[in-house]
Amino acid sequence: MNRKALAAIGAAAALSLTLAACGSSSGDAPEDEATESGPVELSVAVWSMDQTPEFQALFDAFEAAYPDITIKPVDILADDYPEKVTTMLAGGDTTDVLTMKTLTDYSRYAGRGQLEDVTDLVTDYPDGKLAGTDGYDQDGKFFAVPYRQDFWVLYYNKTLFDAAGLDYPDHVTWDEYADLAQKLTGTDAAGQKVYGTYNHIWRSVTQAAAQAQNEGADLLSGDYGFLKDQYDLNVGLQKDGYALDYSTAKTQQVSYRTMFETQATAMMPMGTWYISGILQAKKDGKSTVEWGIAPMPQVDDVDQTTTFGGPTAFAVNKASKHKDAAKTFLAFAASLEGAKAISAIGVVPALQSDDVTAAYFALDGMPTDELSKEAFAPDDVALEIAPSDITADVDVILNEEHDLIMVGEKSVDQGIADMESRVKQDVLD
Amino acid sequence: MSVVEAPIATVSLDPPDVPSPGPERHPVRTAVMYVLITVIALGVLVPFVWMVSSSLKNNNEVFTVPTQWIPRDFQWHNYVDIWSRIPMTTYLRNSLFLSLVITFLQVLTGSFAAYGFSKVRWRGRDALFVAYIATIAVPWQAYMVPQYVMLQKAGLVNTFWSLILLQAFGAFGVFLLRQYYLTIPDELCEAARIDGLSEYGIYRRIILPLSKPALASLALLTFVATWNDYMGPFIYLTSNELWTVQLGLKSFVGLFDGDYAMIMTGSVISVVPILVIFLLGQKYFIQGIATSGLKG
Amino acid sequence: MAITAAPPTAPTATSAGSGTTGRQSRRNTLIGISFILPNFLGFALLTLVPVVAAFGLAFMEWDSYNPAEFVGLDNFQKMFGNDTFWIALRNTLYYGIGHVPLTLLCSLGLALVLNRKLRGVRFFRTAAFFPYVTSMVAVAVVWNMLFNPTMGPVNQLLTTLGVANPPGWTSSTDWAMPAVIITSVWRDMGYYMILFLAGLQTIPVEYYEAARVDGANAWQRFWHITLPTLRPTTFLVLILLTVGSFKVFDLIVVMTDGGPGRATLVLSQLIYREGIAQGEFGYASAISLVLFVIVLLVTVLQFRLGERKDR
Repeated sequence: MNRKALAAIGAAAALSLTLAACGSSSGDAPEDEATESGPVELSVAVWSMDQTPEFQALFDAFEAAYPDITIKPVDILADDYPEKVTTMLAGGDTTDVLTMKTLTDYSRYAGRGQLEDVTDLVTDYPDGKLAGTDGYDQDGKFFAVPYRQDFWVLYYNKTLFDAAGLDYPDHVTWDEYADLAQKLTGTDAAGQKVYGTYNHIWRSVTQAAAQAQNEGADLLSGDYGFLKDQYDLNVGLQKDGYALDYSTAKTQQVSYRTMFETQATAMMPMGTWYISGILQAKKDGKSTVEWGIAPMPQVDDVDQTTTFGGPTAFAVNKASKHKDAAKTFLAFAASLEGAKAISAIGVVPALQSDDVTAAYFALDGMPTDELSKEAFAPDDVALEIAPSDITADVDVILNEEHDLIMVGEKSVDQGIADMESRVKQDVLD
Repeated sequence: MSVVEAPIATVSLDPPDVPSPGPERHPVRTAVMYVLITVIALGVLVPFVWMVSSSLKNNNEVFTVPTQWIPRDFQWHNYVDIWSRIPMTTYLRNSLFLSLVITFLQVLTGSFAAYGFSKVRWRGRDALFVAYIATIAVPWQAYMVPQYVMLQKAGLVNTFWSLILLQAFGAFGVFLLRQYYLTIPDELCEAARIDGLSEYGIYRRIILPLSKPALASLALLTFVATWNDYMGPFIYLTSNELWTVQLGLKSFVGLFDGDYAMIMTGSVISVVPILVIFLLGQKYFIQGIATSGLKG
Repeated sequence: MAITAAPPTAPTATSAGSGTTGRQSRRNTLIGISFILPNFLGFALLTLVPVVAAFGLAFMEWDSYNPAEFVGLDNFQKMFGNDTFWIALRNTLYYGIGHVPLTLLCSLGLALVLNRKLRGVRFFRTAAFFPYVTSMVAVAVVWNMLFNPTMGPVNQLLTTLGVANPPGWTSSTDWAMPAVIITSVWRDMGYYMILFLAGLQTIPVEYYEAARVDGANAWQRFWHITLPTLRPTTFLVLILLTVGSFKVFDLIVVMTDGGPGRATLVLSQLIYREGIAQGEFGYASAISLVLFVIVLLVTVLQFRLGERKDR
C-alpha cells in the first residue's frame, strides 16, 4: 500500500475518534433544563414489556398521579439489555430513565459517571424501609433507587408432598432438604419421572446460597473454601438422581418453569420473581400445580432465615434533558403508591411494609398458609454478589468453574482450587 | 483454448437433455441416488420438525425431558394467537422492506464495483481490493461501537437508514461477484470493445446477463442474511414500530424465562417467505445459461 | 500486494488498456473508479472508517464514555499474559481446522449430487438449504438433544455400533468442540452448496460431451473438468469459510456459550464479552486486531497458493 493510502486511513481514524470523543462529551453538555413547564414526555428504558407487566402497571399509576408527564417506554429485548444500554450510552443517547437490571451494570455505569446523583431520594426516603439500597451505595452516594427486591425461597408442590405422606418443608436444614429430595423422587401416576428437587443451572443456586449462609464468606475474596459443602450437596443430589442433572438441564435449555409447572419436581429453590409467573400460568389454566413457598433451607440454625437476592432499580441518565421529571418518576416508583401498583400483579416491591405484604397475599391464587407468609419475611437478605469494579471479571470465572464442576469435568475440590487460583491471578493481581 | 466464436449467451429455461455430469439412464443408480439424498434430507430436516412440533405445544411442554416429538394436544391456536400477541404484520412488513432494499442495493452496487475490480485495469485497484477483503475478516463486534457512535451523530439511529447504509454496501457481495466475473473470459469484453461498446455497455449487455446465477445467489444470500439478522436491528432499531421479525420473536423472552412455543410459532412463520424466495430463485441459478457461446 | 486469483480461462495479457499511453491509463482509472464509487462511498464511510477507528482503540484505554487514553502496548501485554486469550485462540484454530475442510467437502458433495436432472431435485435442494434458515435457537436445542450423552440418538446409535463409552459431547470438555463443528457443518453446507451450484452452472455442457466422446469415466470427468473449472468457486468458498470460521459467534453462543468451562470459547466471543459486555473497548479492539492479522495472514497465504497453482 502506498503512503497516500496510509495517510488517508490515518486521517479517517483520527476523524472517527474525534467523533467518538464528541459522543463521550455529551454527558457534560450544559444543563439547560431551566424550569420545565407544560407537559413533559419522559422516556424510560425497560426490557420486554410484554413479558414484564410491572412496567406498564407502574407507568399507568404514575401517569394517573402526574397528568403533566407522559411516559414513553423504550422497549429493549431482555436478552441483551445491558449490551444495548452500554451502546446507547456510548453514543450519547438521551433516554431519561434507565432501568438497572443488575448491580454489576449499575456499578459500571455509575463508575463511568453516566448516571445522575440521586442520593437525596434515598437518604430522605419518606415511606419506611426501602430494601436493597446497600447495593447502590457508592462511597456514600447513590445513583439509582431500587423499586423491587427479589429474594430466594423454596417452592414446593403440595400434591406431591401429600402423596408421599411428608410434612411440608417448614424451616429445614440442607441435610433435611436432601432427605426430602430422596423421599420425593419417583414416578407419578402417568409414569413420568418426578425429581425430589430441581436446581436451575445458575451458579447462584450454589454459590450465592453458600455466601449468604456462611459467616465472612465473600465471592470476591478469592477464597472459596466455603463453597465446598454446598457443592457436595448439589453434586450429590444429581449423582443420586434426586435432581435433574445439570448437563441435561443445560444442554436441553430446560426451563425451571416447565419443571415446576408440569410437576416434574417436588421442590425448587428459586427467586420470588417466579410468583407472578406461576400465578399467571394457573390463571391461564396452563398448570394445575398446587404450590406453596417455604423459607430457604439453612445450614443449621433454622430459626434465623438467611437468604439472598437482588434489587432492581431505576436511574437517571446524566444526558437526560428532563432530570426533574425523571427524579419524580424514581421517587414515585419506590414510594408506597408505586409499591402497591407492582405488588398488585405479584411483583415484590423494595418497600417493606405490612400494608404491602397484606395486599400481596390477598392476590388471587396466592397460597395463604402461615409457612408461605413466613417465607416471605426472611430475617436477612444478602446480595447475590457485591457490586464492584472486579465483579464482572470474577463472575465470568465463577461461572466457568461452576459449569465444569456441575458437568462432572472437575471434582468439587479441584474446581474450588481453580476458582481461587484464577481469581487471584487474573483479577486480584 | 478459448477461441471466441460468438459472444452471445444463450439463455434457455429448459436445459438440454443431458445437462449434467453422470448419465441417469441406470435405474439402479438412480434408485441408490434417491435413497442417498432422501436419507440426507431427513437428517437435515430434523431441527425443523422439532421447530414445528414445539410451535404446536403449550410453552411449559416445549422443553421436557425426554423430548416429546409429537405434541400431546395440538395447540393450533398458537398460529392464531401470535398475530394478536405481537404486531406480526408490521414486523413482517419491516423485515421485507429492509431485506428487499438492502438486497437490491447490495446486488446493484456490488455488481458495479465487481466489474471495476475485475474487468477494468487501473492503478491502486488491487490495493483497494485488499482493503475490501480485509474488512470481511474483522468481526463486527470489534467495530460495532465506533460505527454506532458515527450513526448516532448523524442522527440516523432508530431509522431504517442506519441498517440500509450499514448492510447495503458490504464487501462480501463485491468479493463474491468479482470471483464470478473472473470466470468470464476477457476475450468477450475485448471483442465488445472492438465492436465499440463502452465499459458501461459491456457491463450491462454482456457481464450482467452472463452472471445471472451469481447475481441470484448473492441476492438470495443477502436476503436471508438480512431477514435473519438479529444484532443489527437490535442495536439500531429501538421503536417498536420499526422492529423486524427477529426482534419480535425475541420479545417473547423475558428477564427470567421465555415463551418458546411462541418463538417457534413465529420462527415457522418467518421461514415461509424465505422458502418461497428460494423456490422462485432456484430457477435462476440452475438455468442452463452458462457460457455456451464458447467452445474450448 | 498482488491479488490475481485468475481462473484458468483468464489471459495473462492486460485486457482493457493494453499497451497503455498515459492518457489511456488515466481514463481507465477514471472508469474503474466510477464503477467502484457507489459501493466504495458506503463501504469506506460505514465499514472502513469504524474498522480503522477500532484498531486505533487497540492502543488506548476507552470505556465508551470518558475520553480515550493512549496506553501504548499495554492491552497487548495484558492479552499475551492472559491464558483465556490463548485458550480462545486455540479453540478458534481448532474450530477452523475442523469446520473449513469438512464444510467444503460436504457442500461440494451436495452440489454435485443435486446438480442433476432428478424428479423432485428442487425439494431436496430446498431441504439442504433449510438448516441455514432455521432459527438458531431451534438448531441449538435440537442438536444438544441429539447429542445428549445418555438418551440422545447419536449415542444410542454409537452404542448399537458397539462403542462402549460414547462421548459426552457438549457436556464434555474434549467433545464439545467436535459437536459444535458437526453442527456448524450441517448448518453451513446448504449455504455453500448454492455457491457451488452456481459455479457448476458455468461449466459448458460441451466439455462433458467432448470428454465422454473421448471415453473419460465419471471420475476422470470430475477430476479433469469439474474440479479445474470450479476452481474460482472453490477458492471463493475456501476464503469465505476461513474468514467465517475465524469469526464464528452465534452458533457457539446459543449452543454451548463457550462451555463447558472455556472448552469452546472463541475469539469473537471473547471480543464481545470484553468489549460490549464488560466495556473494555481498548482491550477488545486489541484482541480483534490480533484476530485480524491472523486471518489476513492465512488469507494472503491462500491467495498466494492459489496464484502459484495458476501458473
